[in-house]
Amino acid sequence: MLDQTNKEISELKRDVPNKITSMRQDILQKATKRRESALAEAERTGVEEAKRIALESKKQLESISQIPSAKRRQAVDRAIELLLS
Amino acid sequence: MSDGLDRLVDDIARESRTRAEEIRKTGLAQIEDRLAGARAEATREADQITRNLRTECDAVVNRRVSQEKQKARLAYLAEKNRILSDVMKDVQARLLEFCRNDSSYRPFLLKSIAQGIDAIPSDRVKVALSEKDIRRYKGTKLLADALSTMHTTKTAVLSDEPVETTGGAVVTSEDGKVRVDCTLEARLELMKPQLLAEISKILFLS
Repeated sequence: MLDQTNKEISELKRDVPNKITSMRQDILQKATKRRESALAEAERTGVEEAKRIALESKKQLESISQIPSAKRRQAVDRAIELLLS
Repeated sequence: MSDGLDRLVDDIARESRTRAEEIRKTGLAQIEDRLAGARAEATREADQITRNLRTECDAVVNRRVSQEKQKARLAYLAEKNRILSDVMKDVQARLLEFCRNDSSYRPFLLKSIAQGIDAIPSDRVKVALSEKDIRRYKGTKLLADALSTMHTTKTAVLSDEPVETTGGAVVTSEDGKVRVDCTLEARLELMKPQLLAEISKILFLS
């Protein structure tokens, strides 16, 4: 009976390194996956935010491109006034 | 006799079971200890992987955002510069028109010549104009009128050598050592920062 028990325990102990490797891989893989997933989410957030900024920038560019001709004339008049004063 | 033997066998069997149970418990506890130690170590390593995750994620977002902001800022500045450059072209075109109109241009030219003469520390000066202005004002009282506005004893002669300019004058000392550029181009160049600031204020600040 004792031999049998010793044998069982020895077999269980022999299997410990494999169990440790597998458990370790599992834990580290989960952490790596969590990291990758969080970084991918951050990348998506960044891209979304960048799109929003690009859109705002486009609107701002359109807005300054459409300067009324009266304002433009006013700027030219002021420049001429300064130059010739 | 038989009872005694049976009891002995039972005792030995019980003792063996107890011993086997102890061996099993000890063995399993050792295994569990090793597994727990390994689990703790792996968990520590896993924590290491995710420890700075918040900071890394923020950095990823910030990188994208700052790249786009920089791009937007450059595009905005480029557009602003394009508009300013167009307006400066309009200013130059307006100056050309201004120089064609004698009634408004002549007083400006007189003032430019007077400023140039005043700045030259010499009694005799030469005044150079554009080819167009030489044709227009040669033989007129242009220089005399300019000198009369200054109440000076200096004398000025019109140079036959034209200068490349839209309008205004270049005044030099007689020996040619001192030169004062009072052309519109020089004035435009000198005042460019001020003009651009003023134009920007009108166009973009509202």
